[in-house]
Amino acid sequence: MILVQLVTDGLLVGAVYALLSSGLTLIWGMMNVVNFAHGDFVMLAMYVAFIAVTTLAIGPALFVPLAALVLFGVGVVVYYALIRNVMRGPMLAQILSTFGLGLVLRYAMFWVFSANFVSLPDTLVGGVLSVDGLRLQYSRLLAGVVALLLTAALHLMLTRTALGSRLLAVAEDRTAAMLVGIRPDPMQALAWGIGAACAGVAGALIALFFYISPLVGDSLVLIAFVTVCLGGFGSVPGALFAGLAIGVIESLSSWFIGAAWKDVVVYGLFLLALWVRPQGLLGKS
Amino acid sequence: MLLEAQGIVKLFGGFRAVDGADLSLNRGEIVGLIGPNGAGKSTFFNCLAGDLRPNAGRIVFDGHDLTLATPEAHARRGLARTWQVPVVFAEMAVRDNVMVGAFLRHPQARAARRKADEVLEFTGLAAQADAPAGSLGTLGRKRLEIARALATEPSLLLLDEALAGLNATETQVAIDLVRGIHARGVTLIIVEHVMSVILSLAQRAVVFNQGHVIAAGAPQAVIEDEAVIEAYLGKRFRRPVP
Amino acid sequence: MKKRHLLFVVLGILVLAWPLVLHGVFIQHVAALLVLAAISASAWNIVGGYGGQVSIGHAMFFGAGAYGALAAYTDFGWPPVAGVPLGIIAALLIAVLVGLPTFRLQGHYFSMATIAAVELLRILLSNVSVLGASVGLMGPARPRGLADLSFRSPVPYYYLFLAVLALLLVVTAWMERSRLGFYLRAIRGGERGARSLGVPVVRTKLIALMISAGFTALAGGLYALMVGFIDPESGFGLLISVKMVIIAALGGAGTLWGPLVGAAILIPLEESTNALFGGSGTGATYVVYGAIIVLISRFLPGGIAELVQLLSVKARRRAA
Repeated sequence: MILVQLVTDGLLVGAVYALLSSGLTLIWGMMNVVNFAHGDFVMLAMYVAFIAVTTLAIGPALFVPLAALVLFGVGVVVYYALIRNVMRGPMLAQILSTFGLGLVLRYAMFWVFSANFVSLPDTLVGGVLSVDGLRLQYSRLLAGVVALLLTAALHLMLTRTALGSRLLAVAEDRTAAMLVGIRPDPMQALAWGIGAACAGVAGALIALFFYISPLVGDSLVLIAFVTVCLGGFGSVPGALFAGLAIGVIESLSSWFIGAAWKDVVVYGLFLLALWVRPQGLLGKS
Repeated sequence: MLLEAQGIVKLFGGFRAVDGADLSLNRGEIVGLIGPNGAGKSTFFNCLAGDLRPNAGRIVFDGHDLTLATPEAHARRGLARTWQVPVVFAEMAVRDNVMVGAFLRHPQARAARRKADEVLEFTGLAAQADAPAGSLGTLGRKRLEIARALATEPSLLLLDEALAGLNATETQVAIDLVRGIHARGVTLIIVEHVMSVILSLAQRAVVFNQGHVIAAGAPQAVIEDEAVIEAYLGKRFRRPVP
Repeated sequence: MKKRHLLFVVLGILVLAWPLVLHGVFIQHVAALLVLAAISASAWNIVGGYGGQVSIGHAMFFGAGAYGALAAYTDFGWPPVAGVPLGIIAALLIAVLVGLPTFRLQGHYFSMATIAAVELLRILLSNVSVLGASVGLMGPARPRGLADLSFRSPVPYYYLFLAVLALLLVVTAWMERSRLGFYLRAIRGGERGARSLGVPVVRTKLIALMISAGFTALAGGLYALMVGFIDPESGFGLLISVKMVIIAALGGAGTLWGPLVGAAILIPLEESTNALFGGSGTGATYVVYGAIIVLISRFLPGGIAELVQLLSVKARRRAA
């Protein structure tokens, strides 16, 4: 029974991982830039949720979209102010730009809020659903289901809509896209907006059941890296399956080996994956 | 026989970009690879150079099987290439670019530098030796790529549209350079669009269409071949290509 | 040219002789840290600057070196300096484990693997009791003999660090002119082109990483010798990695003198921001560092070296 409980918990958290990793993989797949600040985007969204709840007293139905909107804006601004200028520059500039941005965000929040953990009130989405001895916190259930739906929606948007095909056209071949009249800049800014918004929603959802601290993005960005590498870069379905898998692995290892070791297991898995199947478990060889 | 490629197949997804192509090459030849856009000649060329791995077939170069060998192994065996869009090391000086190639046979910096200077002289880049490669125009970059490749002391040089986009005078200079390279004992495969270049340089032309070799032989004879004219211009035209 | 040589001689004498004149312990301590930072950043520069393989987790090698030194003392009772080679060997092993799989792939993967590896090590060490767990390791409280290399004054450390820095500069200068250096710069310029010229890309990057890891571990060992204390944060913490990157990038990644210039600017800056904002505890230091990194990558990826070059070209044009 405990196994079923652990797997279910893992899947729910994994769905959120899938959503935040989808944002990373979208940006990576589209312009071959890895956003090293992605975890800090998630952290930023958690604080947006926190501030919204404490000052405006609004519920998740409002603060989740709010976080998405704020982070969408952050993503677009970051693209125009920074990424556009470094993405075709040397590797050093590409990597350091987002890495440095992450440092600024993380420690600016640290400066303002200090290292103290805060959290949203338990009563916000309280209660536990009991099914056959399986105990599901409503907060996690809500987070997992919403994340799953949005990841699926993102995939459908990319594969089934005109906007999605324009995005993928730019990803496929920038020059060719320009020749058929698609301006790559707005598309890439949009990808950054959507990618950051994914982190935004994920952050607001995680805040429902997890503590908030300036350094929380540190491990989340690594989880997103693992997920994207396992799922194959640029692939949203890959991120979904890998995210769910990571959630379950994390949940099982923290129960059986100890909470302190769960990150060791996940990061170790990442390094192992690079040795064995760098193209991703679902990727083509 | 310097190079022998047999039954080369390269798939991109379900698309057969190269579908069973053969090519054999004697030492000292200049062979032109021609064909309409998307005929598979560039893909075939990349298989020969080791930048793409063929899905089937066999490539033997100078007695060694290089079918699945890495690009760097090709260079070590004496097979060098240039790129359609030049990929020079923009931040490095022109001479340093060439030295990277020269280090392959001359591990000592002094010897590599001597080799590089000799090649720069030969390719007419000596005056720009100390300028950053990024400051060169397209013409200079193409020349630098040739110089870099020559510095690896290849026995076979693959030129990928090295003369595309040049005006008449520049083309003549480039043709002279290619002749000079040939005179140094280097065998050449050139991919070209411009038919006049093939006519004046190549001893043999190999024509690609839809992933197959559709004709091979003396350039003049090949361009009068019915199948070739059809491939280039479609069935309705039966006039020789200018 | 003559003038330049004279400048170098004067600078050299200054660097060597000033501790004989200035006796303030604080400034001597800062100077020793400055040289140490220059060593770490120069070591990072070999793979990150020349080779363009951007490690953002280089603390894994620094920490390995520092832990090697103090674990040798704590667990075997050796003088710490005898443990430094152990740390270097550990660092080389880590370098192979991280480099071999990722160097076959695009550069991002290496960068990602470096942060994963350093975090992994940091958490591991926080939980391994023979290595002090989260408390860390201490060096000998009182020197048992000269072999413990434990001095009260920072000055002996300063000279020791200078000697190591000089060695590293000689190695780097040699590398710059040799095939390895050309191959590294070619790889940074474009792997496709490099491979077509016969550059063994994976092997070259791995050799550079191993040289870099070895010297970074040596810097870690020296740090442990001087400070006599190491814990997971001061060995494998984010700040350690960030400082190497920022110092090299600020001075000029991929140049011989860049990391030295970077250290000469950043370390005094760090000391003054710490004094201003009250230690690194507030996060202000990181914000400043992050901002510097972003600004360099956005406006001046070549660092101060690029700026100097731009200015000198301009000056020459004006003169002509």
